[in-house]
Amino acid sequence: MNVELTDLTRRFGRTTAVAGVSLHTGPGVFGLLGPNGAGKTTLLRMTATVIPPTSGRLRLLGRDPGGYEPRREIRRRLGYLPQNLGYYPGFTVAEFVEYFALLKDMPPGRVPQAVAAAIEHVGLGDRARARLRTLSGGMLRRAGIAQAIVNEPELLLLDEPTAGLDPEQRVAFRGLLRELGQRATVIVSTHLVEDVGAACSEVALMEQGRIVFHGTPAELTARGEGSGAAGDAPLERGYSAVLAAARSTTAARA
Amino acid sequence: MSSTDAGPPDVDLGRVWLGVAAQVWRREPGWAERAAGRLLRSPGLARALMTTPSLLLGWLIATAAVLAAGVLATLGTGTPYVPLLAPAVAAAGIAYAYGPGIDPAWELSLSMAVSDRMVLLVRALVVFGLNAALGLAASAASGAAAAVTFGWLVPMTAACGLALAAATLARSANVGVAAGAAGWVITVLAGRAAAGRLTAVITDSALILPYLAFAACCGLIVLYATRIPRGTS
Repeated sequence: MNVELTDLTRRFGRTTAVAGVSLHTGPGVFGLLGPNGAGKTTLLRMTATVIPPTSGRLRLLGRDPGGYEPRREIRRRLGYLPQNLGYYPGFTVAEFVEYFALLKDMPPGRVPQAVAAAIEHVGLGDRARARLRTLSGGMLRRAGIAQAIVNEPELLLLDEPTAGLDPEQRVAFRGLLRELGQRATVIVSTHLVEDVGAACSEVALMEQGRIVFHGTPAELTARGEGSGAAGDAPLERGYSAVLAAARSTTAARA
Repeated sequence: MSSTDAGPPDVDLGRVWLGVAAQVWRREPGWAERAAGRLLRSPGLARALMTTPSLLLGWLIATAAVLAAGVLATLGTGTPYVPLLAPAVAAAGIAYAYGPGIDPAWELSLSMAVSDRMVLLVRALVVFGLNAALGLAASAASGAAAAVTFGWLVPMTAACGLALAAATLARSANVGVAAGAAGWVITVLAGRAAAGRLTAVITDSALILPYLAFAACCGLIVLYATRIPRGTS
């Protein structure tokens, strides 16, 4: 298992963003769905070792990120695309990707080839020497994805990766996800249910810091059949049905 | 089988293109980055150092301009303004060395193998060293006495420590700058009130140990604030 989360909790003051999440997953594309404020981003940030959990057990790529050396080793094999991608406006796309390749401790001799491969992978070859400040939102997102995959990560965490991409780019990106998922664990947090249906082999749905569904996209779709839940597509109806059930359970408890 | 019977060897054009692109897009590091990479034994750390906001050309020019104004004021009035300005300028530079809001890609940097604490440490050291060098040059240019020329280095350490600790704890460079500058102004004014001289805080040798102790405490706060809590599993 590349990702082992056991009873993981994260609090910010009095707010519990993630409440006792347990999740175990190996190679493949894992979709993380949920409404705004469900705790997806906090869960991804903990898995990316950006913030530590308040309590619970976290093991990534067979290592405990609580120790300095294991954490460093995890980070060498990790790719992360945050929801709000910060960038240096004066950097070119190639310089941006190279910067993070170096920060990931890649051997300097391997960096130029890896940078070129990552940029080509996301279809930004013709803009490799363009300054980031001149790129559109979708292109910036692709530059962000390029830095995430430059080290050929074994664990890839993508927070809203398709935000800002046009339909053609999203289709291409799903293909890239499927390709990456053959050798790595890819966790994708998204609002877009169709991305999950097209690219993910496993899906979890979060609500108020908890995982209220974990299964395959087909199983999520089945939850919506005959439920009368809102949604234009079968998977959306499954999403709505699970969410409604979780909310009614929470309301009943209260 | 003769060689003429064999078809042309397969050429992976994609691979060839990647090789070409890698060479064309490759960035050549400057001499400073190469030297830093050798010294730090980490090209990533050297690259992170080169992107320090308060080491960029614009910032350095602004620092030099403030100190040059201090030199002119010192030469014009006889009051040693450079030693009084230098700690506050350095504190601002240190606060703007690393952190959220300052580093556009700070969130991403936190997930990198090169330790963010090392990045902070290296950047702070280099910013401090550069500000000390600029301050010393300005002091020398202003013709200040030797005691005044070097007397501000220790208080500068304390002001920088305060700025860094405040910036790290508050996760805001602006808070760091405000704390460092305010702390230094209060110290200067308190020294003037107690001894009747504006330069008392940089010439009184009895203050050296308190300055160093304060700077050490600030350093410990920074180390504590940038630790990664253990025992997550």
